[in-house]
Amino acid sequence: MTQPTPFDEMHNADGSIREPYRELDRWLREQPPQALNLMATDAEGIFRRLGITFAVYGSNEGTEKLIPFDVIPRIISAAEWRRLARGIEQRVRALNAFLHDIYHRQEILKAGRVPEKLILQNAAFCPEMMGIDPARAVYAHIIGVDIVRTGPDDFYVLEDNLRTPSGVSYMLEDREAMLQLAPDLFQRHKVAPVETYTENLMRTLESVAPEGAGASPTIVVLTPGIYNSAYFEHSFLADQMGAQLCEGQDLFVEDGFVYMRTTSGPERVDVIYRRIDDDYIDPLTFKPDSMLGVPGLFDAYRAGTVTLVNAPGTGIADDKAVYTYVPEIIEFYLGEKPLLSNVPTYNCTNDDERAYVLANIGDLVVKEVHGSGGYGMLVGPTSTRAQREEFRNRIIARPDNYIVQPTLALSTCPTYVNRGIAPRHVDLRPYVLVGDQIRITPGGLTRVALKKGSLVVNSSQGGGTKDTWVLEE
Amino acid sequence: MKIAIRHELAVPVPQGATRVQMHLLAHPVAFAGQHIRHWAVEGPDIATAAAFPDAYGNDARLVTLRRPESPVSLLLEGLVETSDKHGVVGRIGREPVPALFRRITPLTRSPVTVYGKFRSTPRDGRDRIGLLHQVMERINEFHVFAPDGVVPSIEGTTESVRPAPTQTQTQTLGTMTQSQSLGEPADRRTPATARDFAHAFIGACRALDIPARYVSGYLLGGDAPGHAWAEAWDDGLGWIGFDAALLLCPTERHVRLAIGLDAMSAALVRTSPTIGEVETTSLSVAEA
Amino acid sequence: MTILGRTAQNLFWLSRYIERAENMARLLEVGYRMSLTARREGGPSEHLVSMMQAAEVDEAFNAKYEVADIASVAQFMLFDEDNFSSVRSCLKAARTNARSVRTALTLDMWESLNAAWLEFAQMRPRDVTGPRLQEALQWVKQVSHQFRGALMGTILRDEGYAFATMGGYLERADNTARILDMKYYVLLPRANLVGGDVDIQQWTLILRAASAHRSYRHVYHDRYKAWNIADYLILRSEMPRSLAFCFSNINRTLDMLTEVHGARSDAHMAADEARAMLEGNSMEKIFAYGLHEFLTEFIARNNRVTDALSESYNFY
Repeated sequence: MTQPTPFDEMHNADGSIREPYRELDRWLREQPPQALNLMATDAEGIFRRLGITFAVYGSNEGTEKLIPFDVIPRIISAAEWRRLARGIEQRVRALNAFLHDIYHRQEILKAGRVPEKLILQNAAFCPEMMGIDPARAVYAHIIGVDIVRTGPDDFYVLEDNLRTPSGVSYMLEDREAMLQLAPDLFQRHKVAPVETYTENLMRTLESVAPEGAGASPTIVVLTPGIYNSAYFEHSFLADQMGAQLCEGQDLFVEDGFVYMRTTSGPERVDVIYRRIDDDYIDPLTFKPDSMLGVPGLFDAYRAGTVTLVNAPGTGIADDKAVYTYVPEIIEFYLGEKPLLSNVPTYNCTNDDERAYVLANIGDLVVKEVHGSGGYGMLVGPTSTRAQREEFRNRIIARPDNYIVQPTLALSTCPTYVNRGIAPRHVDLRPYVLVGDQIRITPGGLTRVALKKGSLVVNSSQGGGTKDTWVLEE
Repeated sequence: MKIAIRHELAVPVPQGATRVQMHLLAHPVAFAGQHIRHWAVEGPDIATAAAFPDAYGNDARLVTLRRPESPVSLLLEGLVETSDKHGVVGRIGREPVPALFRRITPLTRSPVTVYGKFRSTPRDGRDRIGLLHQVMERINEFHVFAPDGVVPSIEGTTESVRPAPTQTQTQTLGTMTQSQSLGEPADRRTPATARDFAHAFIGACRALDIPARYVSGYLLGGDAPGHAWAEAWDDGLGWIGFDAALLLCPTERHVRLAIGLDAMSAALVRTSPTIGEVETTSLSVAEA
Repeated sequence: MTILGRTAQNLFWLSRYIERAENMARLLEVGYRMSLTARREGGPSEHLVSMMQAAEVDEAFNAKYEVADIASVAQFMLFDEDNFSSVRSCLKAARTNARSVRTALTLDMWESLNAAWLEFAQMRPRDVTGPRLQEALQWVKQVSHQFRGALMGTILRDEGYAFATMGGYLERADNTARILDMKYYVLLPRANLVGGDVDIQQWTLILRAASAHRSYRHVYHDRYKAWNIADYLILRSEMPRSLAFCFSNINRTLDMLTEVHGARSDAHMAADEARAMLEGNSMEKIFAYGLHEFLTEFIARNNRVTDALSESYNFY
């Protein structure tokens, strides 16, 4: 089967320039030949100086790499963004309602709209969360929604990230870099600001402080430490908010209250933006050998003296197997039709669907239910015969462990590569904050697959990022 | 019936630790068949502990032990008035939805050889109580457990029922006493404890889609007062107790202490950090 | 708002490591220079060895190398990770501390450290010989100056500043005291008032190790004299590497902490005890007490300040 021509976000089929990219096109034509090359070099210098690096798991000690940054921004029109934002807001509202329900009355399971086994027997379901009433009934406060585009009006949600989504610092720093590299290009557009993110993050965190925290609650960012791949982001966000960046050892629990160790003794902590996975936050309740967490933290949370952001157990709502039910979830809680579509997904435990998958694996994308970051994944069209055979066998052995989707022709954006501009596939991760209200930063992180023809945009697999512009009217 | 309980425990903690967190499920909850006339838990730093309901509706405490001396001594002492409800516990206030207790945990996996024969047995309305009694009898037949926690089934297939050892030590009432009372049998296999019976019963129920949960408590009489059993859900009657070790529904001699998905989540004491096992130094359950 | 105890600790050690890197470069520079001009028997290695003794790395060196020649010593002092005080170890430790407290540093402080580490990582040991060695040592000192400049010029004058500053001065005082102690015997008053060539060479070594061989003349308008040299490095508060200078700054910084925390801590008491050895003291009294004994006692009291700081401000 031949793949359809991917949608080019800059050019119409006849080669003319799409409206949002008009000015960019003009600007690009005005640039002297070496300009983009110089910008790319400058960009690298800017990022390296700021220490924006990420660690790659499995590679040698001391590996800190820069995520490649593409100097050509991706541009989204105001109308396109309005539609996206409405769809995203609807989705996160429904997912939070779903989380509240399954950790309380479980009405959606009783109604049979989502299979009970899928939730109750799921490793991502956290029974310890039963009955907790988090402030404002919000479980997932900080969400990244992965969206792909296949046509002028065709947006799909690829994945919801409700645990500890990362990458927002790249969104912010990409904008900083772009402002330094091409100030004139900004003057020729009305670009919606993203710098509001940190202010909104603070407001969100303050709005979910526990009762009795006072007017200015103490917020900390909890990191696994400097060896974590996203450490730069943790320190960046803490710095932007003026919050303390804590490791587990900096916090302790006493009689159900959480304190940090300061130079003048213990200080109460009200809200913890934790970037440590559920399993590791508290050795008393979860993984007993965790050295990263704070013993007693979860009990303090249950006792209502501290807010954890995001709440533990949110992973059940972004589980790949639950993903297929999100349209159902939206209708059940909001009584609305979903505004954003899911990518059609085959369920391998269904005999007919599995048969189709096994016969057409070369055209499909296979994902492990619990995999992430582009690992444990097969992209049919670019796979080898041996890889396809391996995944066929794996699916037969554990049909419930995989979800399968058609290979989407991800849209492309003009990207600077090898001293020239060429289309490369992109996706989009807008960031959503949920507290006293839902705040979506216009734009988000655009990830771009730098290899020609590649559909894998993950930074760990050779992807880069772009500044993402939402134009204001 | 009035039952007086006095239970002393020794909790080992690392020497020189500045702070040790202790999660306690040591405060029984009342229901129609059980009134708490008096209950007190004594130990260091308990007076300032945080009190909150846990996920299963237990009355939990988080105690922060400051520079504790090892072992830490705990004393549970109380007077409970019970009445025989034929095992029916019913519905208790702040408990989670019964469906939660269909979740299978590493401790409550059941081999199909145990529950398989009931798969087509009717299980609704009046039939359910009958089925649960049959399951209890079936479990009681599997009364011998191998030392490593493997349940040998009649057909010879085995399945592990214990989770991987973890650093947070847990101790439940069932394990402490029942195995002592039964003694070491000739074939050197560890006899099933009340905890094992409860897990096996719960596992079978969950495999049959019946919510079932673990109960830790005390038993008056006999030579095994520390005890554990199970409760299964019936839409009409609510929770009903089943004591597969004794092959009966809990009576006025049973005192309920805590519930959970399994022995881990209903553990009386959990500490972090920790070393070694919690020990019962003395226990008396007597009619008052 | 007060800061995390761990942050205070990281800032303190971050500064100490940068200061230490500078001191190591300075010591190696002196050792190298003396090894070029030494005319005594025992050859050039004697100076290199005593320099390593002052840095307390001689044992680690002997465990690894047979001969103390300039190539092996330079390699050991600059690049060897088995040497916890090598420039590489110091810069690495400084950057690791900096990463842990990234939010407590200004962008300029971070950039100076990060750039230094990235640049150092590019240096190839086999290229750093002869004139290149001196260039590299000069570079290390520049790194320290840049970091200190970024610290002084950009950081808020809050607690973080206090801990970072204190780390630098405590390390420096320790280093100056050790340099003096390494050669204390050539500074003792003797019958012959004029030093011979050998003495002059030794004195120069001491002054150079403290970057004080030029400024000495501005202060004393005199030839090098043992008595003055000791006075200069111990009691002269205008000399930025003297013990007196370090402790007047430590004292001022502790006063800042008193203001933030509303009370004096044990660290003040410990610093007072060290300062009592300097204030109102004179070289007559120090020589009468015994120079070596004085320095040993001072180093111990200086260390107690660090201990008291960790205790009082919850380093952990």
